[in-house]
Amino acid sequence: MKNYKILPFGLGACLILLFASSIQAQGSNENEELVVVPPPMRFETSSAHYAYLLDQAGGGTQHTVATVPQWPGLWDRGGNTISKTFLDDFVGSSTQEGGRVRTGILTPPYEQTFQELRQEMREEGQQKYDRLTHCESPGYPRFLLEPYTREFINLPHQSWQLNDLMNENRRIYIGQEHINVYGTHSWLGDSVGFWDGDRLIAHTVDILPVDYFRGLPLTSNQFESVEVWEMKIFEDGSQRLEVQVTFYDEHSLIEPIHAVYAYKPATVLMEIGSRIRQWECETSSNSYLTADGETNFLLPGEPGYKDARGATLFPHLPGQSRDPVYETGLEN
Amino acid sequence: MGKILIRFLVTAGMGFCLLQLSQAHHSFIAVDPNIERLMTGTVTQWSFNNPHSWLYLDVENEDGTTTLWSFEGSAPISLLGKRITGDTFQPGDRITFMYCPLKDGRSGGHLGWAQLGDGSFINPSDGGCAGDEETIARWKEWLEQGFTSKAEAEAAGAVL
Repeated sequence: MKNYKILPFGLGACLILLFASSIQAQGSNENEELVVVPPPMRFETSSAHYAYLLDQAGGGTQHTVATVPQWPGLWDRGGNTISKTFLDDFVGSSTQEGGRVRTGILTPPYEQTFQELRQEMREEGQQKYDRLTHCESPGYPRFLLEPYTREFINLPHQSWQLNDLMNENRRIYIGQEHINVYGTHSWLGDSVGFWDGDRLIAHTVDILPVDYFRGLPLTSNQFESVEVWEMKIFEDGSQRLEVQVTFYDEHSLIEPIHAVYAYKPATVLMEIGSRIRQWECETSSNSYLTADGETNFLLPGEPGYKDARGATLFPHLPGQSRDPVYETGLEN
Repeated sequence: MGKILIRFLVTAGMGFCLLQLSQAHHSFIAVDPNIERLMTGTVTQWSFNNPHSWLYLDVENEDGTTTLWSFEGSAPISLLGKRITGDTFQPGDRITFMYCPLKDGRSGGHLGWAQLGDGSFINPSDGGCAGDEETIARWKEWLEQGFTSKAEAEAAGAVL
């Protein structure tokens, strides 16, 4: 009954997959290796950095509807360098264990917290709980790294960056000053920007403390950024939207850090006609934080279970099912 | 010793592949990705909803009763990228699938691969359970040999 025939197949297939992912970094196409382009000098603050770029651009390009760069269609993640900023000897996703915390990047309390997180991941194989599980917004800078579909809509006076995940909608106000009339910070902060030809430069402040991603460090409520967005067109005609970022955070970072994130056309999704839909987590998520600090799931019939395809608060009325096509409500 | 080393390397490699593909809004710590079991059931609900899809099926027990089982899959937008839609599983469909169970023993887990009525295999999994092409290829061989779990295949020496 012993059958080792599949052994070389499985190993080979996996090695091919790994090899393929490594060679993606080569060639003059959308898979070309991502290169971080740091700013030309060190700036004390993000505001000084942004002001310098604005001055260099002569106050910015005044685009019209006809001339403002368009980045149409649906986009998905296309790589980033942020994980390797914080981890040495690291391969793959930050959600997996592995790598060593790079010292001298984070301030002592933030580095200590990050060390503890990675230790937990070494012991458990993964992070035991992610704040998004209870429907928190990813927020910024996690917005840049989150998976799933995005749209980029550029107008002369605003740029909108939309993500399917949690339906985060980011607005960059072109040629305007920062405003905060809420008396607090927000998940995505306040973003202003300008165009330098075909490049979009953005400055973001007033952000709530979040994280870079699951398995990566936390950020503070003083986290700020300067971004340079640019569409890259490669020799084979393929496209990659890149954003060079510098992150500033007096509480968590010893020095500003630089990274690049990229996005590629979501070709299959566009082919099948996928469209971003509005959604929320309250009526549909059954994952929760246990008393042991771990993630678990409620199943049908258990107290607190939510039937995403059930009825509204008025099930006695006709037409109140949230599953009008198949009518499969589990608790109706 | 050689076989043990190879098994280790392949298992580690496949685990790495699985993790490379994982993306979700939560941890998968409630599920044991090393346990892979086969199951057949009748679809009660395909909750193609964010933030994660869930497949609910009635599964017959040996005593003739049925139990409602619950299995988590990937996010809809991720499944759409694999051409899996909100109509892929329909109420009443009888499907066979592989899953990784919840560690606490309740009637649920994470989806690996699933076999549709036309015999084709699809991958609705997220990071909690492997459903990729390599896993499907491995399981096709095991299905031919009549295995219903990875543990059975391991006991028979057929596992990698």
